[in-house]
Amino acid sequence: MSSALIQLSNLGFAWPGQPELLDIDTFTLQRGESLFLKGPSGSGKTTLLGLLGGVQKPNRGSIQLLDQDLSTLSAGARDRFRVDHTGYIFQQFNLLPFLSVRENVELPCHFSKLRASRAVQRHGSVAKATSALLAHLGLHQPELLQRRAGDLSIGQQQRVAAARALIGQPELVIADEPTSALDADAREAFLGLLFAECREAGSSLLFVSHDQSLARLFDRSLSLAELNKATRLAEI
Amino acid sequence: MYLLRLALASLGNRRFTAWLTVFAIALSVCLLLAVERVRTEARASFANTISGTDLIVGARSGSVNLLLYSVFRIGNATNNIRWESFEQFANHRQVKWAIPISLGDSHRGYRVMGTSQAYFEHYRYARSQPLQLNSGRAFADDPFEVVLGAEVAQALNYQLDQELVLAHGVATISLVKHDDKPFKVVGILARTGTPVDRTLHISLAGMEALHVDWQNGMPARGAAKVSAEQARAMDLQPKQITAFLLGLNSKIATFSLQREINEFRGEPLLAILPGVALQELWSLMGTAEKALFVVSLFVVLTGLIGMLTAILTSLNERRREMAILRSVGARPWHIASLLIVEAFALALAGVLLGLLLLYLGIAGAQGYVQANYGLYLPLNLPTRYEWTLLGAILSAALLMGCVPAWRAYRQSLADGLSIRL
Repeated sequence: MSSALIQLSNLGFAWPGQPELLDIDTFTLQRGESLFLKGPSGSGKTTLLGLLGGVQKPNRGSIQLLDQDLSTLSAGARDRFRVDHTGYIFQQFNLLPFLSVRENVELPCHFSKLRASRAVQRHGSVAKATSALLAHLGLHQPELLQRRAGDLSIGQQQRVAAARALIGQPELVIADEPTSALDADAREAFLGLLFAECREAGSSLLFVSHDQSLARLFDRSLSLAELNKATRLAEI
Repeated sequence: MYLLRLALASLGNRRFTAWLTVFAIALSVCLLLAVERVRTEARASFANTISGTDLIVGARSGSVNLLLYSVFRIGNATNNIRWESFEQFANHRQVKWAIPISLGDSHRGYRVMGTSQAYFEHYRYARSQPLQLNSGRAFADDPFEVVLGAEVAQALNYQLDQELVLAHGVATISLVKHDDKPFKVVGILARTGTPVDRTLHISLAGMEALHVDWQNGMPARGAAKVSAEQARAMDLQPKQITAFLLGLNSKIATFSLQREINEFRGEPLLAILPGVALQELWSLMGTAEKALFVVSLFVVLTGLIGMLTAILTSLNERRREMAILRSVGARPWHIASLLIVEAFALALAGVLLGLLLLYLGIAGAQGYVQANYGLYLPLNLPTRYEWTLLGAILSAALLMGCVPAWRAYRQSLADGLSIRL
C-alpha cells in the first residue's frame, strides 16, 4: 500500500461538446494529510470533486483512490467505493431538513456496510458513534439529536454535516467551502474541531475554498488554477 | 426498509401537497367504488323484480312496454284485454296459476293495482320469495279494502284501518278523485326492494266499483252517481283488465303457450317471457351504467395524474435532497426507487382513505337510499372485483411513479454531488 491516498496522473476531462475543462499532470494527497485547495469559481473545482467522487469518469488519465483506479470500476461500484471511503461536507444546507440530527449523521451507515461496521468497531454501535462524534464537535445536549435538522442554526448544521462526513472513519473527507456561511470566529473554531476529528479518525482532509486566509492552518496549500493547465491556457 | 423511511420523511416534509394528492385520489377511489356498488346492486335488484312467472300477457304492443307497465309500474297500457280472454287462459290445462292485473288509478303518485287473491299467493320476487304481510291481512270480500306496499305505508305514514281516497289516472296531481268511495287499509306488505313496495293493491271488484258509474271516461253526476253502499250490492265482475301473469305446470310448455297466446283469435294479445324482456330492458339501461363506470374510471385517472404532477413539480426543488443522498452513498437507482415508493405510498394512502370514505358514506346513506330508491347498499368487505379494481389503481400508480423516477434518475446522474442553489 502506497502512502498516497489520492493519485491523479495525466488527467483530462471535458463535458461533451465543450473544450477541455481539466488538465492535471499530477496531483497527490498523502494519507492523513490536510490540504488546502484554492479554487475560485470557474476553475473546474466542482468537476474535480465530481471526478474524485466517481460521479464522472475522466476522458483520459487515471484517478487512484487508495490504489484503486476509479475509471476501471462500474458506476455502481464507484458509488459504493465513494461512500465507503469518502465523507462530504458542502457549503451549506448539507442536511436533509426533514430528518432528525441523529438520522442525518447516520445516513452513510445505511448505504455503506463498511462504515457502519467501522463505527460499531470503534464505538460499540452506530448510535454511540453518532453521539460521540456530535459531542466532540460541541453538540452535547442529548435532546438536540432528536431535533429536526432544519431547525438548527447554520453553525450547528455544519457541525452535524462534519459528523456525518466523519462517521465510520472514511479515509478521505472532502470539504467544499464548508465555512463560507460562517463568520470569521466560527470559521476557525469549526476548522479546529474538523482537524481534531480528522486526526482522530486518521482521515485525510481535502479542503476546497477561495478564502486564502485559512490556508495557513493546513499542512499544505495548492491552487487549482495553477494545477489545472486547461484554465491556465484559457487565461493566457 | 430504509428507503421507505426516507420516502415517508420526505413526503412528511411536503405534507400539505401530499395530503391534497391523497385526498384527490381518495375521492376518486370512493366515487369509483360507490358507482360500482350502486351499479351491481341496481342490476341485482332489477333482476330480482320478478321471478317464478313464466309469461306476462297484455294487449299487443312492445315487450319492453308490457314489462314496464305490468312489473315496474312505469308507463301505460295502450289497450285493455277482455275478461273472457283472461278466463280462457287462466283455465288452460298448462296453466297452474294466473294473476290478473288492472291498472290506471293512483294515490299521491303511487300506482294502484287491481288484482286477485292469487297475487298474494303466487307472486314471487328475488329468489322465489313470496310476498309477506308485515301487518294486517290481504284484502277480502269487501271491495273497498286496500293492501299497501311497504314504501307507500312508510312514506305516507299510513296505519292499518286508515281510510284513503284514490285518484283517477296516474298523474302525481290528479284533478279527479274517487272521493265518494274511500278505501280502508287492511294490510301492509313487508319490504321487497321491488316496485311492489310502491304499489297500492285493491281487489278487481274494488277497481270495478270505483268506475261503475263512470260514463265515457267521466264521473257520473247527480242522480246517476252510485254510492259506495250501492256499489257493494252491485255485480262487480270486471269486464276488462290490463294484463295478467301466468305460472305454468311445466316450463317446457312456455313456448307453445306463448305462441298460442300470440296467435289468439279473440283479440290481439302479446305474451312475453319476463327474463328475456328484463334482459332487453337492461341492455337499454346498461349503456348509461357503463358510461357512469367509464366516467368514474377517468376520475381516478385524473386523481393519479394529479399525483404525477405533484411529484414532478417537486423534483426540481428536491435536487439538493437528491445530491445529499448521492453524497452519502445513494445510487441513482436508490433515488429512482425513492420516487416509486413515494408514488405508491400516496396511492395506497388514497385507496385506504377512499375505502374509509366509502364505508362512512354507505353507513350514512344506506337508510336514505333504501327508502328512496329501493336499493340496498351492503356494508360488506370489498368484493373480489373491487379488490381487482383497487389493485389496478395501485399498479397504475406504480407505473406512473416510473415517470418521475426516470427523470430523477437522469437528473441525479447529471447533477452528481453538485448542489445547485
